[in-house]
Amino acid sequence: MAASSKSSVVLKAVKQVMVQMCPFESNVRSTREFLFMVGSEKARATNMNCEVSTVVKHDESEPVVDITFTDGERLVMKGAKLTGQEMLQAFQSRCLAKDTQAQAKK
Amino acid sequence: MAATLCGTLLAKSGWLPLTQCGRVRHMSKSVTRHKRPMHIIKQKLMAVTEYIPPKRLAAGAYPSQNKKVEVESGLVLLLKKEVKTVFQDCKMIAVVQNNASNSEDMLTLRHRLHKHSLTVKFFPNQVMRSFLKDSEFCNMAPLFIGSTVLIVSTQGKVKEMLSTLRGSPQMVLLGACVDGTLLSAQGVQHYSKLPSVSVVQGELVSGLTLLSSRTASLLRHHPARLSALLQQYVGQQGAPAAEPRPQESEGVAAQS
Repeated sequence: MAASSKSSVVLKAVKQVMVQMCPFESNVRSTREFLFMVGSEKARATNMNCEVSTVVKHDESEPVVDITFTDGERLVMKGAKLTGQEMLQAFQSRCLAKDTQAQAKK
Repeated sequence: MAATLCGTLLAKSGWLPLTQCGRVRHMSKSVTRHKRPMHIIKQKLMAVTEYIPPKRLAAGAYPSQNKKVEVESGLVLLLKKEVKTVFQDCKMIAVVQNNASNSEDMLTLRHRLHKHSLTVKFFPNQVMRSFLKDSEFCNMAPLFIGSTVLIVSTQGKVKEMLSTLRGSPQMVLLGACVDGTLLSAQGVQHYSKLPSVSVVQGELVSGLTLLSSRTASLLRHHPARLSALLQQYVGQQGAPAAEPRPQESEGVAAQS
């Protein structure tokens, strides 16, 4: 895969990651790349309570990534027109923002 | 007048005046510290002969005449042969996305699958795509993106495969080719719930023989009913004939 991130994926603030996709469509490359990065052993080791689930459909629907954070916030990304790197950057920026908020509260 | 006279006199003598003599030079220095303003004619010439770079053409507008034939390496050809053998021999070929499971999980999964005679195969995506585009399985090509793994079986044990994959959450079933038919993930689950071939054949045979058995029973219904009624009638006739006999015997016993 072409996608490679220098910074590792940290799922500490994430409660659940749900990925819906239709693998026979041509617009799922970025979603699958994101799933690969988020579902890797390293990423899952950062938070064992985080569920990474995948729903494989065959109804020509758009690929969607639905992330639920521990504080209830949801991040929904429609991967049809996004690249894997963009999705990862958006996710990591949210995680970083939550991390800084948590540190500020402390 | 003097000039024309001079001109005619000089021309007769064979000496032509230099044209440069009549020219008035502005800005006598050629090398200056500032940029010398160009003569208007030179400006026009420079504007007309300005360099226009060629525009980039759209991809595919002018295809190259010499088609570059990509020569595949020996390893790729060998792998393609292996893939071809797999597709010919195996009844079930499932494509699973592998989300970076570690070696222990993979070993455990392979062991569990081996119990049900299922094999895990690894092929590079490039080899798979080059094989699939020339074969009848070209519609499977979109599945081979990223890290994928093939689970193959000569016997088509779909149920066992699904039950084993449920234990590995990082393995995502994308699709499968079972008996030459391409199925989605949901199609594979429906296929696993189908009864076995012998059961289906038995159901088919019983359904077809049901009609003919009904015909036979319909034909036999009337004579069977008639014979039952006659038997009942005979039974009833036989019973009243038997009843007076005990009364006669009672009368004889009373007389005696």
